[in-house]
Order: sequence, then structure tokens, then C-alpha cells
Amino acid sequence: MKLESRIPGGPLADKWDRHKFESKLVAPANRRKFTVIVVGTGLAGASASASLGELGYRVLTFCIHDSPRRAHSIAAQGGINAAKNYRNDGDSVYRLFYDTIKGGDYRSREANVYRLAQVSVNIIDQCVAQGVPFAREYGGLLDNRSFGGAQVSRTFYARGQTGQQLLLGAYQSMMRQVEAGSVTLFPNREMLDLVVIADRARGIVVRDLVTGRLESYAADAVLLCTGGYGTAFYLSTNAVNTNVTAAWRCHKRGAVFANPCFTQIHPTCIPVSGEHQSKLTLMSESLRNDGRVWVPKDPSDTRPPQQIPEGDRDYYLERRYPSFGNLVPRDVASRAAKGVCDEGRGVGETGLAVYLDFTDAIERLGANVIRQRYGNLFDMYQKITDENPYRVPMRIYPAVHYTMGGLWVDYNLMSTIPGLHVLGEANFSDHGANRLGASALMQGLADGYFVIPYTLPNYLAAAPVPAVTTDHEAFTEAEHAVQARIDRVLAVRGSKTPREFHRELGRLLWDDVGMTRNAESLSRALTTIPQLHEQFWQDVRVPGKPNNLNKNLEYAGRVADYLEFAEVMARDALERRESCGGHFREEFQTADGEAVRNDERFAHVAAWEFTGVGRAPLRHVEPLVFEFVKPTQRSYK
Amino acid sequence: MTKMTVTLRVWRQAGPSARGRFVEYAAEGVSPDMSFLEMLDVINEGLIRKGEDPIAFDSDCREGICGTCGFLVDGVAHGPDRGTTVCQLYMRRFTDGATITVEPWRARAFPVIKDLVVDRSAFDRIIQAGGYISVNVGAAPDAHAIPVPKSVADNAMDAAQCIGCGACVAACKNASAALFVAAKITHLNLLPHGEPEQHKRVVAMVDQADTAGFGSCSNEGECEAVCPKEIKLSTIARMNRQYARACWFDR
Amino acid sequence: MPMRPMKFLSSSVGTKVLIAVTGLAFFLFLILHLAGNLLIFVGPEAFNSYSHKLVSNPLLLVAEAGLAAIFLLHVVKAVVNFTANRHARPVGYAMKRWARHTSRKSLASTTMIVSGTIIFGFLILHLITFKFGTYYEDPTHHYRDLHRLVLEKFSHPGLVGFYVLCMTIIGLHLRHGLASAFQSLGIEHPQYNRLIRLGGVVLALLIAAGFAAIPIWVYFVGTR
Repeated sequence: MKLESRIPGGPLADKWDRHKFESKLVAPANRRKFTVIVVGTGLAGASASASLGELGYRVLTFCIHDSPRRAHSIAAQGGINAAKNYRNDGDSVYRLFYDTIKGGDYRSREANVYRLAQVSVNIIDQCVAQGVPFAREYGGLLDNRSFGGAQVSRTFYARGQTGQQLLLGAYQSMMRQVEAGSVTLFPNREMLDLVVIADRARGIVVRDLVTGRLESYAADAVLLCTGGYGTAFYLSTNAVNTNVTAAWRCHKRGAVFANPCFTQIHPTCIPVSGEHQSKLTLMSESLRNDGRVWVPKDPSDTRPPQQIPEGDRDYYLERRYPSFGNLVPRDVASRAAKGVCDEGRGVGETGLAVYLDFTDAIERLGANVIRQRYGNLFDMYQKITDENPYRVPMRIYPAVHYTMGGLWVDYNLMSTIPGLHVLGEANFSDHGANRLGASALMQGLADGYFVIPYTLPNYLAAAPVPAVTTDHEAFTEAEHAVQARIDRVLAVRGSKTPREFHRELGRLLWDDVGMTRNAESLSRALTTIPQLHEQFWQDVRVPGKPNNLNKNLEYAGRVADYLEFAEVMARDALERRESCGGHFREEFQTADGEAVRNDERFAHVAAWEFTGVGRAPLRHVEPLVFEFVKPTQRSYK
Repeated sequence: MTKMTVTLRVWRQAGPSARGRFVEYAAEGVSPDMSFLEMLDVINEGLIRKGEDPIAFDSDCREGICGTCGFLVDGVAHGPDRGTTVCQLYMRRFTDGATITVEPWRARAFPVIKDLVVDRSAFDRIIQAGGYISVNVGAAPDAHAIPVPKSVADNAMDAAQCIGCGACVAACKNASAALFVAAKITHLNLLPHGEPEQHKRVVAMVDQADTAGFGSCSNEGECEAVCPKEIKLSTIARMNRQYARACWFDR
Repeated sequence: MPMRPMKFLSSSVGTKVLIAVTGLAFFLFLILHLAGNLLIFVGPEAFNSYSHKLVSNPLLLVAEAGLAAIFLLHVVKAVVNFTANRHARPVGYAMKRWARHTSRKSLASTTMIVSGTIIFGFLILHLITFKFGTYYEDPTHHYRDLHRLVLEKFSHPGLVGFYVLCMTIIGLHLRHGLASAFQSLGIEHPQYNRLIRLGGVVLALLIAAGFAAIPIWVYFVGTR
């Protein structure tokens, strides 16, 4: 299989404009003749539904939630980047592009990232016009902050709820199209299969989660906007219902999966408190702007933090990275925290936490300023831990947060199945091996508002395909396959709950395919995952019936898919014999523990082709060509 | 760490038209650091192993922002803590040996689907009726074209925080959606960008809420007291004002 | 958009606005009524001459008709509203508690329909007792000696007790009703909201106390 990225030629800055001009158009009167399925209503899905609806396509939008407004984009806290340069501090489209390429550790496509930086400015305009209440200054203009270690202030934010406000903006725009009749909404639907006819994506099979009925929908193109696979780790900052199922079923139908080993671990989360824990809560990275990270110098030091004198504390980020200090990128900060905990210097009951201390900031700025900046985060922390962070340093630990890998797409966001487009976190395209803070929201909205409205028509106009209905045998076949899988999982009637399997898988992945990996741990995972997978199908217990609301049935299906998916994640990590971004192989590091990339052998996208359950997938490669930026070793010292 | 034991009285209802009833469950070995939903997870794990049907309840982000979770805990929507969704309610809030009653949102417009899960699509239809600003993608002027005073933006943000969980409806003795509707109207009508459609918006949304079967506001403020985002009752006053103006003076 | 007053009046918001406007109008009437009644403390002459001037004014009929319309509108809208709200929650809660925090829920707010019904009943009895009660003529001025009737009626401890109870209930109704009316009409300002709520309570108390003072005074002092 040849992975054609379809990157347009010409100078970097002109590629997108040129591509837009060269793309075919669909005349306004013809648009309603095309049906487009959108799966997922996060930033990417809602914005795509809205913009395609506005253009006049017939859009069918599906989501697993009871309302499209609940998609997990809603939980993003920090902000959204845009190269507006409203601060006059040297930002530009090129700098945002450069920072994103560098932050991604040179494992993303230049052309995609440049386009992302270009449209970032339009996103802010669009959101403001929609009524997103971004933070403003007294002059009435938009406020910006520096975020995630960026040296310019380009992050727009709405308190600690930027994702919520952006999602509500996109959701409202989509609901306007529902009212207008161009978008039809199908909530409480889980996509369980992709229907491919004559090598093109022509529809989906979904399960109505309330009635349990399977339904088929036919279309001219399918847009998958179903988010990432972070909950493979069981504990993550993702919502508990997020899953890889839709993407994985597309993968099984022929869409190759790119860079599944690229997982982002966020450094500032509230630590695990016990076995019962169902998810981890992220504390915005902005906390690192004023908080100082430290652990005791002596592993046997069990004094409460306030009683440990300055001299006995190790501000390890400031020590190791003098110029960036506490603001080093997420992957660096996370690994450093794991490092000091592995040395036995972790704090708290479990020893799996480090302090994030605001004492200096409170002394310098006063508690009121700190309350204004982080009040809601401090309250949230106190609510969860029952500790007052104004007095006692917070305890934080890294947690799985975002997945850079995803279904492989070309420059048009189309997967290896013609007609199947993948947007937002579900694709692999823009963040390389590590995503910068405040860039996920940017990418989701860029894909939905400003990329797909140009690239989808190019596909639709170029390929006059015969009309299909759900009477086609491919739909019947897909529905049967889905039904068989549901029947099978219900029939096991074993002794362990889906959650037990999920928890076990999560622990396994966290230990062996987690923040740092090595050949040994990965090889071990490649034997233990299939064992767990086999055990699942022999011993899972799914209560209830298929024909009504059955949350454990949904859950079991998702866990089963994760058990298949986890294998390719481990395999990808094993094959990528270098350390880059979120992927840290212990064998490939410098003497002082910094990642060592191997540009000669691994400056490529690894994309995996499904060959059957239990069979080794095929690894394909898309070389990454750096025409404009010279890959250098990232240094935050 | 000390473990607690609590008894739960949970509303069980197999389906929309089935008869429901309260069933008691004992939750043993409950850690005070568990969230209420994690405690339910543990009960459900036990029920599955015993071959019984687990308690259906909705939840997703489990950090209080998606608005998916919600039920009455001892007669109060989302439980006793102020500004808190039930996923952020921790067991340390309860005493060892307590009996806790758990009941779904009840309103004509929110029919029960199963156990504690209700259908809140009426909220989507209210947004659909007018809870947006009509601006097509690509048509927006520069973000700085219209300055918005900070206080206006802040007030809009206060209202925009609504997570659409439905606690306001559940807490209201009239099952009124006034706080939900008013929050969105306040958010969009305060901003200059939302001004051109302000009258159309308030009329369409209020009328849709009436059509959906929500009650009217008795100004008791139970909604404000249970709102996880502490949306102010004053938004309802603003909505009333704007609705009256839109009906009588706008043409 | 065209003006749509009819739709407005039947909407949930319009209904509440109407209840608020009529309620406030009736409250204004109560103030006037109380001011007139307080003349009883001045003496029989002042009281009777005021009441004579009032009833001999030809415009009184118009005012009474208006008052009756306002009152009926208030009652009808409130009952319609109450049943609609009942309809909005067909299945009630097994356990429902006060939400505390900022909730303004009170005994008054939860019993508006009950206090309203009692007030309605009281009003009828009140009219029968006084407006349509025994006609005593003042021998010197040849107008109605209402003062005598008041003194006579309030010499019965039962009626005094009944009146005081009803005035308490009116006070209760106003305690929620006054501030609530402002909220329904959309009159609010972060700086004055507390004042409005406090004002509502104080005025409710004054009205109830003012009216209740009369039977009490008459019973203990006036007949001596």
C-alpha cells in the first residue's frame, strides 16, 4: 500500500491557497443531492456539521451522547492558539507553524501544520462572531496568555472553560442547521461499523443506545470525528465513555492507523486515590505559570511539605531546565515527574505524586491575584482532595490526556478508504509525536470549519458514484456482523465485568506501554494483551439484554475493541526504535535522560494495516519530508 | 483509611413505560475519597457479578463540565454541595451508616428512560429554536472589529457556563426550564454580536420551552441553589424583561 | 416580528408578568385601603366621613369594577398557572428537600396557591361583613355609620381572631409576592436586589400589621 499524502506543491505559504483553487467545487444547487454522515459532535464533528450544513449539503450527524453538547471537547480547559499577534510580541503564522512542528518533535507534516497555523486566525474570528465569550481586557479587546511554554502570548481563553465555550459555539451553529433542516441529528447512536461498497465509504451501522436497535444509514461520504483512544489506559483525563470503537471498526474495514504509540501524558493531574478511581482530573497546565514543581531531596523525607526547608527541596524542573523551568513541554515535565517518583522521592500516600507549590506566587502576588487566575482550579482541587491548595502545595501526577496518533489521512483529511474522512483527534495529522498546549481545540475547529468544507467537495465532485441505499447487501452484511458480535459478547456469561478487564488492560498499558517504554516491556505487552483479550471472550460477564439501554453492553464492546487496538499500540511503540515526543524508549536517551530521536530511520509516519484479528498488522511508512524546517534536537535547557 | 457503609434507596425503572420502585442496596467498604458515581460503579460491579441488572445512570466527563450526570441525592439535585455536579460529590460528605435516597430528574419534558437516566432532548430543541447567533463560517469579521466591555464579556461568560444538566428543572417545583433558557438568552443577548437577533431569540426559546411542557418560574430560586455553575436567578429577570419587550414593542 | 400581545399573555412569562402586575395593583389598593382604615384611630367622624365621600363618588363603581377585574385576572391566571405547573411534573418525588444555599424558597413561596385561596374566601366574607353588612345611619350626618358596624363586629373575639389570622396570611402572600413580582417583571439590579427583597418583606409585614391592628385595637380599646 502506498500512502499518498497529496501535499500540494509550491512554496509552503501558498500550498493551501493553491490547493483550494485547484480543488473541484460542488455547485450550490447540487449540494443537497449529496448526503454526508458525520460521526461525533465534538469540536471537529459539530463544526463540520455546521459548516457543511450551511453550504447546503444533506448532513446526518450522530453522537453517542444524549445531547451533542456533551462531547468531550467540552472539558478542555486552557485555551486555543491562534497566530493573531495581537500582542505585538513576534508571533506569526510561521512561528506558530514552527513551534508546532518543533513541539511535535518533527513527526508531523509541514504542509498540514502550516495550514493549521494559517486558518487559526479565522477560527478566532468565527468563534467571536458566534458569541464565544473569550476573556477580554478593559479596552474591550481579547486577552491572550502564554501557554504550555510558548514564548509568545497567542492563547485565547474563556476562563478555565475554553473547550466548553468553543464546543457550545459549534454545537449552537450546528443546531441552527438542524432548525434549518440541513442537518439531521441522531443522538444516542453508537457507530459500530463502516459500510464500504466498491472500495468507497458509503454508510454506517449504528446502534440506538436507548432501544438497542441496529440502524443503517447510507451516504456519499463519511466523516469520522470520534476523538482519541486515551481511555485505552482506563485511567485518563478523558470522559469515561470516550472510545476507539468507531475508528477501530473503520480500521478493520481498511483504514490504516497511524502512529498509535504517540500518546500524550499530561503532567498536571490530580493523583490516583485508590482502586475505585474511574477517571483522572486534569488541572490546567496554566498552573505551571505560577506554581513551582518540587519533591524532597531525600527519599526518606516524610515531613509535611510546609515543614521541609528550602534547602531540602529539589525544584527539579528549574534545576534541569534553567531557561524553561516549570514551563517545559508536557512530555518533558511528565517524564521528569515519573523519574523522581521512580527514584522513590514521590510524595503523598501512594508515592506517585509531586508537589506543585504556590507559596512563592502567593507571597509575591497575594492570594487574591492567585484566586483570580486559578480560583476555579483551586476549588476543584479542594473538592476532590479535601486539601486547601492555598495553604498546602498541590499534589500532581501525570495522566494520559491526548492521543496524537489516529487514523491516517492525506492532506484532504481522507483516510485510505476513499470517502472516509477523519477529523480532529481521531486523525493523526497535525501534532506529530507531541501536541502543544492549546492546539487540540485549534485543530478540531480548523478541520471542521475551514478544511473539510474545501476538501470534501473535491472528493464529491470528482467521483460521480452510483447511488446506494441501505438495501444494499453490504449493509445487511455489516448489520449481521455487528449483531453477531453483540450476541457473542452477551453469550459469554463469564465471571468478570467489562470494567475489570478494562482496568486490567489500563494497568498493563500504563506499566508497559506508558510514559516510558522499552523493548522488553513492549514485548511483554505483546504477549499479555492477547492473553487478556482471549480471556475477555471467555470470561466476560455482560448483564441484561441487547434491546434496551444497556450501558455495560456498550462498555463491553468498547473494551473488546481496546483489547484489539492495544496490541497495535504496543507493536507501533516497539517498532519505533527512537524516542520522540510522547514516545520515550528508554534505550534511546542521552546520559542525562533526554530523548534521542533517530531522524535517519524514523522521520516517517508509521501506518498499520489490519490483516485480521490475532494476525500481525502490516506496517506502512509515509516518509516525512522537511523542506522548510531543519529538524533539530529539542532543547528546553 | 477508614471505610464507610451506606445504604442506598435507588429508583429502579426498567423502561420508559415500566412501573418503577425504590430498591435498597448496601454499599460496604466505601472510601471517603470515592465520588458518588464511583460508589455506584462499585455497587454495579457487585450487581453484575450477582447476575442482577446494574443501576443505569448517565455520566461522562466526571469532572463537572459535560452535564451528563445528575439525579437527586436525598431530595436535592446533584446532592448537598453548592456548585457541584453529582460526579464531583464525594462520599466524605456523608456519614457512615447513612441511608441515601437516589431519584431521577422528574418532569414531563424529561421522561425517564431507565432507572436514573432521563431524556433531556427538550433542551436541545430549545437551543435549536434560537440559542445561537446566525453567522455562517467564513463570514466573520476580525475578532477585534467589535470591542466588548470586559464587564459585559464577564457577565456573558457567567451565564454561558451552563452545562445543560437539567438540575434547574429537577429542583423547580414547577419543573420550569427558566434558568436554562435564561442563561442562554443572557449569554447571547448581552454580547453585541447577538444583539441583532435578540428579540427573535428570546421569543423563540421561551415559546419552545412552553411547548416542550416545562412549567413557569415561581421565583423561588431553588434552581440557582442547585445549579452546578451557580447561574444567577437575575438571568430570569432579564429574560422576562426581554420577552415582554420583544412581544410588545418589536415589529 | 409583529407585535404579539395575545401570545405574550398566554405564554409562561406573560402569565407571570400578568400575575405580577395585577398583584402589584392590588397591593397598591391595599395601601390606600389601609390608609383609609387607619382613620378609625382618629375617630368615628373622620372614619365615617371618609367612607361617605368614597361611596358617594360616582367614579367608585368604575374603580370597583376595575378592582374586581384585576383581582379576578390575578386569580384566574394564578390558577391556570398552578395547574399548568402541576402538569409539568406528573410524577412527583418521593423525597424532596429545600436546596439551601441561595434558595429563596420559604413557607410563603410554597403556599401561594393556598394563601391565595384563603384570601379569596376571606375577601367574600369581608365584603359580606362590612360592605354589604348592616346599614346603620348616623343620626346627625345622615350617612352610613360604618364606624358603629366595625365596633360591633370586632367586639366578637372570634371574628377578631379570624381577621388577625387572615391578615397574617395576606402578609405571608405578600412576603413572597412583592419581591417575586419585581423578578417576574424583570426589575432587578445587582445593587438593589437585596433592597427589593427586604422591602418586600418589610412592606408585607407593615400591611399585615396595619390591618390586624384595627380589630385588635377595637376589641381591646375601641369599645370602651
